[in-house]
Amino acid sequence: MNHSNQHQQTGLALQGIRVLDFTWIHAGPSATRILSDQGAEVIKVESNNALSVVGGPASATARGLGQRHNWNAGKLSISLNMKTTQGIDIAKRLAAVSDVVAENFSGRVMPSWGLDYQSIRAINPSVIMLSMSGLGRTGPWKDRVSYGQTLQAWSGFTELTGFPDTDPSGPASAYSDAVGGMAGAQAVLLALIHRSRTGRGQWLDVSQFESLTSLLDTLALDMSVNGPAAVSTRTGNRLPHGGGAPHGAYRCQGDDRWVAISVFTDEEWHAFVQVLGNPNWAAAPQFSSGDLRERNADALDACVESWTVERTAEEAMTLLQAAGIAAGIVQSGEDLSRDPQLKERGFFRRVPDHQGEVRIIESAPYKMSRTPGSVTRGAPAFAADMTYVLRELLGMSDDEVDECAIAGAFD
Amino acid sequence: MPAMTITAEQPTSEIPLPLSGYRALDLSGPMGVYCGKLMADMGADVIKIEPPGGDPMRKIGPFIDGKPGPGRSLYWLHFNTNKRSVTLDIDTAEGAAALRDLAMASDVLLETGAPGYMDSLGLGYGGLVVDAPGLVYASITPFGQTGPYRDYKASDLVGFAMGGYMYVTGWPHTPPTKLWGSQAYNTASNRAYIAVLLALYHRMATGQGQYIDVSMQEAVAATTEHVNTTYNYTGESAVRCGFRHGGQFVATWKCKDGYASITTNTRKAWDDLRAWMDRDGMAGDLMDEQYNDHFVLRGEHSAHIEALVERWAMTHTRAEITEFGQSNHHPWGPAATADEILENEQLWGRGYLIVAESSDGGPSMVYPGDPYQLTDFEHPVRRTAPAPGEHNDEILGGILGLK
Repeated sequence: MNHSNQHQQTGLALQGIRVLDFTWIHAGPSATRILSDQGAEVIKVESNNALSVVGGPASATARGLGQRHNWNAGKLSISLNMKTTQGIDIAKRLAAVSDVVAENFSGRVMPSWGLDYQSIRAINPSVIMLSMSGLGRTGPWKDRVSYGQTLQAWSGFTELTGFPDTDPSGPASAYSDAVGGMAGAQAVLLALIHRSRTGRGQWLDVSQFESLTSLLDTLALDMSVNGPAAVSTRTGNRLPHGGGAPHGAYRCQGDDRWVAISVFTDEEWHAFVQVLGNPNWAAAPQFSSGDLRERNADALDACVESWTVERTAEEAMTLLQAAGIAAGIVQSGEDLSRDPQLKERGFFRRVPDHQGEVRIIESAPYKMSRTPGSVTRGAPAFAADMTYVLRELLGMSDDEVDECAIAGAFD
Repeated sequence: MPAMTITAEQPTSEIPLPLSGYRALDLSGPMGVYCGKLMADMGADVIKIEPPGGDPMRKIGPFIDGKPGPGRSLYWLHFNTNKRSVTLDIDTAEGAAALRDLAMASDVLLETGAPGYMDSLGLGYGGLVVDAPGLVYASITPFGQTGPYRDYKASDLVGFAMGGYMYVTGWPHTPPTKLWGSQAYNTASNRAYIAVLLALYHRMATGQGQYIDVSMQEAVAATTEHVNTTYNYTGESAVRCGFRHGGQFVATWKCKDGYASITTNTRKAWDDLRAWMDRDGMAGDLMDEQYNDHFVLRGEHSAHIEALVERWAMTHTRAEITEFGQSNHHPWGPAATADEILENEQLWGRGYLIVAESSDGGPSMVYPGDPYQLTDFEHPVRRTAPAPGEHNDEILGGILGLK
């Protein structure tokens, strides 16, 4: 069967691509999960030393277990002790037969194993190496240590997210890692396209700091041309440069229930007011134009909330959407699990793990007509795929495997 | 066969960018405009299709000197680097025919119209695929092309809310909060870009294009880290906890001159922190043995510890905290304010931030680079964002007889 037919029949864009995956925790594994969804064979190199980190095979909490499955569904797992020469040797042999080598260690780790880009390229000339790090592998801060939260702080996301009259909140959870994961996958796909056209591989130096900073919209342009004073600080749920009112989350009936509403044009405003039953306050001069509604947004928000608190978030959304107004429930995890839209589109997948237990994972948030991709199993058990990888892929003999085991290469 | 040829872009460097040679039609609004930028920055010939009179996004602020006007929208300038512009009224038969011709000579079409809109013009995927089987056609909508909410409207705010990220962002005492910037739109674009790249790669092997249906809601829902896994694996919904999302392990603290991130999720980091507090005479009883395990930060004493750390943090600056943490290999750092971002030596040091001259006499300004650095490629702003219909002549002129 030729390559082309294979693609058509499997519905997987990355069938035939092998990824040797040293990444761990969140950003790296979420990047390679995007590849494994589309048929790439992702071999996760794990270690007994990191069993209980977030998303590790022995994740200590239910949430950690969920993350293990969510970010590692469909992958293979092997255990290699990189403190042994045999472990390193096996890793090198795997790198030689892989299309992509991915890692998110600090900068000194891969070179210390002789697995830096130049060394891998010597044994695999067209290899693509994805190096994901907090701050990049060059530049004055290359040796600084960071987590997602540190990068959110450095990038301005922490200081800028939240309401002006309280402490900033920053993003809940590690937006930085999710963004790094998307950027890592994009970089690999660009490199695969480039390799197909030129035969050349490359090293991908992904700084998650840069990936995150890329999402600050107009901030750099605005600061450089208008100066610091022009850039607003935290504006809560309002837009820093205006353009909509009402624009926010409004309290509804129930405990911590909210509806998000945004109204931009006069046409939308008139439709909005009509849904609310043309209350007297809506005719007040202070709300008679878009500019005035923005300027008097505090008063406006109070009026809007006087309507929403009388309703459930579901009712408010349904009534407003029927009039063409952008409105939606501020959904919790529980809401998402019951969301009829996500249900209809099959966003949550139920797949068996290695013991046959059903695990819930997120599907890729895009539907592709010819390469729908597929996830048919949860994360691998620790070292579940030693036989396939060592015997079938590397063709190691019983004796060789035994020798390595005695040397502690799999501990 | 393409019904027309289009003047090729001249490569500006010897090594072609990864997407050089691909042509994309960008009919997107704010939900997809960043996806178009990502393609254009990586070398694709991205043609922004604008209605006559110019795209409505040209009226989105901020503006140069705070004044709206032609060429002054920084929103437009940021999101349309390296693109060309053609003005077409696709709501007319003539404009739709021209777009169809352009699509026949393109590799990617990106659009964010309401479900059914492009079909109503005969420009949906079904209407183009027969004559352009290699076309990668990506639609981004708030909720996707199918399902009970397919016709619902959404802004960035509503997409962020419905995707589940807003409920957990903010403090327990504040309303749910959006992230700074248009992150639901950007996430939809980021996800769409991944799908487009997958489709282009698949096309290299098969010659076949395909249809891509991206839901902004799903894009956000797949980006929250913990919202779904917490509920699906514990039965409890994650709640808002400000910048203490990792409990006291991964936390931000108010300090003398702002806020700083202090992570103590290892025994050593916790020991280093309490020892420093002790040297300052502010550790209270934290040096006691009962606090030796850093998991104590999540236990019954967490409020007591928090109060002590809060009081102590106010006696140090962001720089002191960062320097101490980094010199001990802990991921501690300052919360930068907006005006500090353009002073960041790492962003300049790696060539991420660049100053670009305007193509049309406007002020030069600082542009952010790409989300990743590829070997051999520099990020050029080869061209700043186009004027409306700036490339009508070279793209449409003559060949279609529209001029």
